[in-house]
Amino acid sequence: MTNMNRRNFVATLGLAGTALLAGCNGSEQPADDAQTTDETPEEASYTLVKEGVLTNVAELGFAPFEYIDEDGVTVGFDVDLSNAIAEKLGLTCEWLPNQAFDTLVPTIAQGGKADISIAGMTIDDTRLEEVDFSDPYLNSNQGIVALAGSGETSETLDAEGVQVACQTGTTGNSWIEENLPNATCVPLADVTAGMMGVSTGLYKAMVIDLPVAQNMIAESFSDLEVVEEIPTGEQYGIAVSYDNPGLKDAINDALAQIEEDGTMDEIKQKWFGTTEV
Amino acid sequence: MQHRRGALLVALALALTGVFATTLAAPRPAQALTTEKATARPNEDGGDGVIGGMDTRLTWEGTVEPGEEVTSVTLTLPEGSTFDGSTTRITALEGLKRMDVTGEAVPAGSSITVNFDQAIPEGSLLRLEITNMQFPSEGGECVVSGSYVSAGAEHELADSKPIETIANTPLQSIVNWLDDQPWVEAWNSNQFLGMFLKPQLLVTSFSSLAPGWILCLGIVVAAYPFAIALGLLFAMLKISKWRILRAIAVVYINVLRGTPLFLQIYIMFFGLPMLNINIDNNLLGIIVMAINSSAYLAEIFRAGIQSIPQGQYEAASSLGMNYVQTMFTIILPQTVRRVIPTVTSDFITAFKDTSLLSSVGVMELMMFSKNLTTVTGNITPYVAAGIFYLIVTLPLIKVVGIVEENIARSERGSGPRPKRRADVADSAAAQMKEATDAC
Repeated sequence: MTNMNRRNFVATLGLAGTALLAGCNGSEQPADDAQTTDETPEEASYTLVKEGVLTNVAELGFAPFEYIDEDGVTVGFDVDLSNAIAEKLGLTCEWLPNQAFDTLVPTIAQGGKADISIAGMTIDDTRLEEVDFSDPYLNSNQGIVALAGSGETSETLDAEGVQVACQTGTTGNSWIEENLPNATCVPLADVTAGMMGVSTGLYKAMVIDLPVAQNMIAESFSDLEVVEEIPTGEQYGIAVSYDNPGLKDAINDALAQIEEDGTMDEIKQKWFGTTEV
Repeated sequence: MQHRRGALLVALALALTGVFATTLAAPRPAQALTTEKATARPNEDGGDGVIGGMDTRLTWEGTVEPGEEVTSVTLTLPEGSTFDGSTTRITALEGLKRMDVTGEAVPAGSSITVNFDQAIPEGSLLRLEITNMQFPSEGGECVVSGSYVSAGAEHELADSKPIETIANTPLQSIVNWLDDQPWVEAWNSNQFLGMFLKPQLLVTSFSSLAPGWILCLGIVVAAYPFAIALGLLFAMLKISKWRILRAIAVVYINVLRGTPLFLQIYIMFFGLPMLNINIDNNLLGIIVMAINSSAYLAEIFRAGIQSIPQGQYEAASSLGMNYVQTMFTIILPQTVRRVIPTVTSDFITAFKDTSLLSSVGVMELMMFSKNLTTVTGNITPYVAAGIFYLIVTLPLIKVVGIVEENIARSERGSGPRPKRRADVADSAAAQMKEATDAC
């Protein structure tokens, strides 16, 4: 409870003026220390890049999870979810400009720019070496996208000289490397470039998260289809720095509340038209 | 002929009996858990091989057949593999829907047993991802065998397709050696040095980036003669007497110089296939680079040609030369020398610009470094790529400097030409001296 009060207090000060805020930040540290001693460890304070703001970083070309709509606003399933989390934490949510997917983990690992990355990112062992993850919030799978009626399968694609596109650093990327050893893996910065390449015949296929593939095909690539669904059962998590365990705990608490009070189902219904995801 | 057919029949009969014999001898038990596949994550730094004796991840998949349930799975690898210290991720799926399955993995040497807290129901896909396990260090084809427990009874698991593994490579040995060095550890503990100049990654990057570097050089070297020819053509058009030709050249040069190369690459790589023109990626890369450079070269050549004083044209025509003769024997030879530094600079730019081709899947230097960065989460491969670029650009920059110096000297009048007269004078003086000495 004291935690909330303190935060509201800081917010009010922040509104009052930057000079006051600076003064407040100066006296912030001792207050934090005092708090950790007289409160439970789960309630321990966490550090934020910007006071009162949950700063998010993602690759913003990953509809329906996070993308920029016609009005230039960042929207998507992950955006709504992070807004809900921020609300539970008494924070506001901000998004950094679009950043390549493969730079997200290093950005969080190094810290200083963003607090969390909620970017349709699968919890995976290699990533766990660099960053911590929240509890999983969504299950996902991979899909192989090729020209409609091309009859490509994972068997036909695993051949010398076949170029298969993916987004750099995604689980699709490592899936190709492990499961299509004979094909040439072409990692690209964004999904659209890959889809476009498949559509024009530059690449034979693309491997990408199934919900994204389905969304892309429905929205803009009617000449493509998901030729094979790859049941990976991977789980998305929110990347948090290992230096910020308090934030991870707070996010896990918030996620649990969001699951419980039905907010999660609401968001799922909004973006997938079903809660069975 | 008859004889051969007979032999064939005998062989066929033998083969058939063989097949029957094996099926009779070993009646296949109805599998409750069918092995779908077993794969391993490549763990070769900067390569795609699976090296034995080094941590990697084994992924095994199987489906539970109808009417069956599986409570435990044991996977066994050839002798010399180890699951000790591994962690196991269990995924069970019904179609695409993930089920909540937990379990405990018990590693025991070259096999691992995973006991599930709840039985895996029929029809589900079971995936076990075992991280930080190792294949035998001598490499070879590794078959995943094992057993499973269904309805309280243990059954044999069908063998997987073999996983190709290799023994340690010399390069990997260097990396492993570096891994153990205290100074490397100290170096990497500095966040900046570890992120940008990790010694292990520099070593692997140099070997695995080399093909990309060769391709970069190949593209720009192949493109440049065409760029020069095209550039010269458009330079000529631009100084032509006919307005329409000038207009064509102006549009060509300005559009190409006024738009980013990135855009031109996208248009060529995505646009041409849409017009059903399918060209090999590398060849298309050469074409884009040639066209882009030609616009810059056209301007360089035009400036070079126009820097030759008007008097030279007049002198040439007074000798009875026509325009073409004047151009090719008087003007252009002088232009060439003047434009060499700028053309070299443009060559350097073009060489660096090949990096943009990575965005459309040309397997050049940046593409390789991007792949490596993805796998390692480290920036070092980009630094290694930078060094590869410098290997070409630094000597060229030096060449530009030398050529510029020479030109400046000859234009100041202290070039090699005036010296000849001095030489003549010197030798004349020497002869005089000889003559006087002889006297």
